[in-house]
Amino acid sequence: MTTLTTVDVLFGAVGLITAASAVLAVTTHHLVHAALWLVVTLGTLAGCYLILGAELVALVQLLVYVGAVVVLVLFALMLTRAPMGRSPEHSSGFIQRIAAALVGAGTTALLAAVLLPALGGDIRPTRAGDTKGIATQLFGSWVWPFELLSLLLLVALIAALAVSRMPTTSLPSTTEAVAETPANSAGGESR
Amino acid sequence: MTDHQHSPGDSPKTNGFIPGLIKGLATTARTLATPSHTAEYPDVQPHLPPRTRGVIALLEENCTSCMLCARECPDWCIYIDSHKETLPATTEGGRERQRNVLDRFAIDFSLCMYCGICIEVCPFDALHWSPEFEYAELNILDLLHEKDRLGEWMPTVPAPSALDPRSADPQEVAAANKPPRTAPERRQ
Amino acid sequence: MLEVVLRSLGVLAAFLVLPLVVGQTEHKVMAHMQGRLGPMYAGGFHGWAQLVADGVKFVQKEDITPRAADRWVFKLAPAVALVPYLVALAVIPLSATVVAADVGAGVLFVLAASAVGILGLLMAGWSSANKYALLGGMRAAAQLLSYELPLVLSVASVALAAGTVSLTGIADAWHPLWLVWQLPGALVFLIAAVAELQRPPFDMPVADSEIVMGPFTEYTGLRFAFFLLSEYAGIVVMSLLFAVLFLGGWRGPFSGVLGPVWTLLKGALISVLIIWLRVSWPRLREDQLQRLAWLVLVPLALAQLALTAGWVVLSSP
Repeated sequence: MTTLTTVDVLFGAVGLITAASAVLAVTTHHLVHAALWLVVTLGTLAGCYLILGAELVALVQLLVYVGAVVVLVLFALMLTRAPMGRSPEHSSGFIQRIAAALVGAGTTALLAAVLLPALGGDIRPTRAGDTKGIATQLFGSWVWPFELLSLLLLVALIAALAVSRMPTTSLPSTTEAVAETPANSAGGESR
Repeated sequence: MTDHQHSPGDSPKTNGFIPGLIKGLATTARTLATPSHTAEYPDVQPHLPPRTRGVIALLEENCTSCMLCARECPDWCIYIDSHKETLPATTEGGRERQRNVLDRFAIDFSLCMYCGICIEVCPFDALHWSPEFEYAELNILDLLHEKDRLGEWMPTVPAPSALDPRSADPQEVAAANKPPRTAPERRQ
Repeated sequence: MLEVVLRSLGVLAAFLVLPLVVGQTEHKVMAHMQGRLGPMYAGGFHGWAQLVADGVKFVQKEDITPRAADRWVFKLAPAVALVPYLVALAVIPLSATVVAADVGAGVLFVLAASAVGILGLLMAGWSSANKYALLGGMRAAAQLLSYELPLVLSVASVALAAGTVSLTGIADAWHPLWLVWQLPGALVFLIAAVAELQRPPFDMPVADSEIVMGPFTEYTGLRFAFFLLSEYAGIVVMSLLFAVLFLGGWRGPFSGVLGPVWTLLKGALISVLIIWLRVSWPRLREDQLQRLAWLVLVPLALAQLALTAGWVVLSSP
């Protein structure tokens, strides 16, 4: 065991906040608080990246996850329901909690078992974390996974568009009666 | 987008989106370049026309306590107290004269609606409009102004506007200029 | 260590002064554009201290938290809205040497920081337990999500043209020709920035004729002042960013000595433009707002990105 360096201490502290807020995000009874704890988790995760020297990844994490994804989550919450106090009707039962905790712990153990021996346990800031380094790696050695991922996203995008444009007549039985009404059939014909 | 909803002739024909936006920018820029209209009131006194209905001033010497104003006032906001005074005869063996002495003349400006009827009906020009307007009070009861206060406003009453060219002389001047009446000769 | 403290103090001073300067400019420019004089008394000379007086007034006001509000979120929201702009201001260079913190990916840093600032509005809108505040928060969320994309795309175009994401690098690579062939991107950035700041004509989230004051409805005193300050700090950040990205920052005569002055001057011009737009144009309706973002700005930004990419590929050896 070597002596603690500044990076170790910083990483430990930020990592602890990340883990704690993540736990709070899944255990809190307030719907919106869960989303806000998620913000803290993702933000401090960006802090972890920053401490490890991956500046670009940290900023993109902040821009995409905090700036867009969580905003989208909050927007959806506000659009549907955003109760002020606790919402016990959304809390899961005891058994499900136990099961979720077990699954979470299992995943953590699995990842730790695979990654720790593979990469080593010590914390080393990377030297290739700046924009140029990331770009060289991304479009060099990892170009095929990167392109495949972008293809996947494109497919998801087109699928989402297709779902939203799907004609109502093809929906299953419950809406058929509605679909038979003149207004809807007229709309279907005009397409 | 809503162009088709406009009836023709309702406004000058708009040529679409972008020109409208530019027009808006041009208008504000032009206003920016022109001097503003703001009157900096407490620093600069406003220029008020002479017929401004600011406050009602009282020329006490002209008042005969005839009560016409108080009776015509729609709000009953004029208070007049007077008493009669006997003047000794000016000539030997003459008759004593009586006249009204004004004790109190007050206007309650918390009631007054500035209609100006009192000024219209005063037969002796004792009441006048003054453009003075800075007589706000913190307490509404303090808006009842007595005759000394009303008299203080008298110097602020502007001179009456000049007569139109070639118009007839005012009544007083015409009366003063009239040749003295001579004894009728016909009866002789 | 001393240098770090000095730089931080410099940023803090700029953060406290520049938004007030912009705010005072807005007071006066807007007044004169409407044929008025604006504040004339505070401080003596043409009311220069009006915003200082406003600040003193805000401090004296009672800090009210509605009973039904979510207390912690409600109290935290102004800080979440304000601090990101302070952080963003730290990385914006005034010249190649005058910069508080020269971050490698400066552009991304500013964009990420301003994206975090949005959360403050959402938190304020939700935690107020007020339907107008909630409506305002939702409008803000929808608007900011839509305009984030064109903003990032137009910045990406500039970064592509310069071959770097560092703010100093972009300003160094700037060429007067950019004014021509980056013009669509610049327009997209300006419009999207005004929308990000929720300034008129994109002030649907705080449309006072419909939803009182949007997310700020329940705020009083100093916390309300923080929201206002964050709006003007946002104008400062976005204007300086525009000046650095699209107008060459400190380029100009005697840029060796007057570099920071040029940047500030260009930023001031953009600030005045933003104020001018506010005075001149009516508010966009919510659907028009979304239409503009998705049907005009995003395609325009993508076209600009394609143009820039083509140029870079063709011109590179």
